Amino acid sequence: MALAVSARRSRLLLGGLVLAHLAAISHQVDGGGGVSLLQRGLLAALSPLQRAVGAIVGGTGEAWRGWAFHRETYEENRRLEERVRGLEAELHARVPGAQEAARLRELLDLRRAVPLETVAADVVARDGVPWFRSLTIDKGEADGVALDAPVMSPTGVVGRVFAVGPHAARVQVLLDRDGAAGVLVERSRVPGVVTGQVSGQASGAEDLVLKYVPERSDVAVGDVVVTSGIDRIYPKGLVVGRVRYVGKGSGLFREIRVESSARFDRLEEVLVVRQAREPLDTPRSVE
Amino acid sequence: MSRVFWTGLAIAGAVLVETAFGYLVSSPGLFLDPFLLVVVYCALVGGEMHGMLAGAAAGWIQDALFGGRVLGLAGLAKLVVGFAVGVGAGRFLIAGVAARALVVLLATVADALLVQWLASVFSLEATGLSPLALTSRATLNALAGGLLFALMDRRLASRS
Repeated sequence: MALAVSARRSRLLLGGLVLAHLAAISHQVDGGGGVSLLQRGLLAALSPLQRAVGAIVGGTGEAWRGWAFHRETYEENRRLEERVRGLEAELHARVPGAQEAARLRELLDLRRAVPLETVAADVVARDGVPWFRSLTIDKGEADGVALDAPVMSPTGVVGRVFAVGPHAARVQVLLDRDGAAGVLVERSRVPGVVTGQVSGQASGAEDLVLKYVPERSDVAVGDVVVTSGIDRIYPKGLVVGRVRYVGKGSGLFREIRVESSARFDRLEEVLVVRQAREPLDTPRSVE
Repeated sequence: MSRVFWTGLAIAGAVLVETAFGYLVSSPGLFLDPFLLVVVYCALVGGEMHGMLAGAAAGWIQDALFGGRVLGLAGLAKLVVGFAVGVGAGRFLIAGVAARALVVLLATVADALLVQWLASVFSLEATGLSPLALTSRATLNALAGGLLFALMDRRLASRS
């Protein structure tokens, strides 16, 4: 008897929770464009945990490497071996620093090249679920990051901000099926829209799809694709990628795939556009 | 209270694993779903009520930190999966590494199909998983789950 009551209660709760979820999802879907208060609150509450995890993972890795290094040097010949290992450790310690400096230099070069007010941010988490392509960055509203702000890397456009917290923001990358940007083929000025693909690949090597390009348009493999600015999100002239494949589409439009310039799987630092200083007149290659 | 605390701790652990895994591979969600492991374990051990509440909580946190624009898809999917696994655990004897790994495998497939179905119902553009990607994700999840659950059981048994 008690079991039956318990089962009935859990089923009622299940029904209630399912309805509540459906209502919550419907509310967000109907709401369209902006970010919900719920999402904003959850991001604000939970992003510090992610940042702390990032710091713990980094710190633990460093501590582990330091411990292993000291143990090995202690066990081996004291003077010479210790010195050699010390030098090796110094070298290894400088390699990531040099790599980071190189990446930051590229970021700085981009910042100077693009006449937009930008803020640099670190990527703290990425692609937690395979259905949506997103990144979490460590800059938020307090740093001037706004909803729909374009995000760039030194090699190309990354995506746009779709949720902002006080000190963190979520970025929808161009590879996301729901992501899109108005573009131009730099050589022939043919307009189109790039979006992510329907099916993901485990390798991470994915192409963007260039849509709405008529059959007779002048587009060739190797053409550079840049933002057109027509979507009012991405400033005109930012490099998106290079045409990798041009084929005959099924209808009025051609089937075109674009190799993205941004290396989504290796992003560590990005630039977020705060506000446009002046429109870009000419396409600007940043590679 | 103790159950809520340990479930919360396990979900926090899943956030840690998912975030840390993101530092190692470019798309951690393609290989492992630690939130689902927490949900399945809660449902196996605590029954349908515990499973669905843990599923809703874990799913919402996954949605907020790692999901897309719309919150609640993983929440709803994991709620249903947690309930179903809990009902199954109440009716069948699901003991042993292989049986539990099979449950995780089926739960991973069900979770993925539910999210993709919900996305299509709400007209959300979600990247589809190929059968190969789904199979490899479910297999890795099952292996990790089987191992983790066995370790947890051994630890609980040694304590009691």
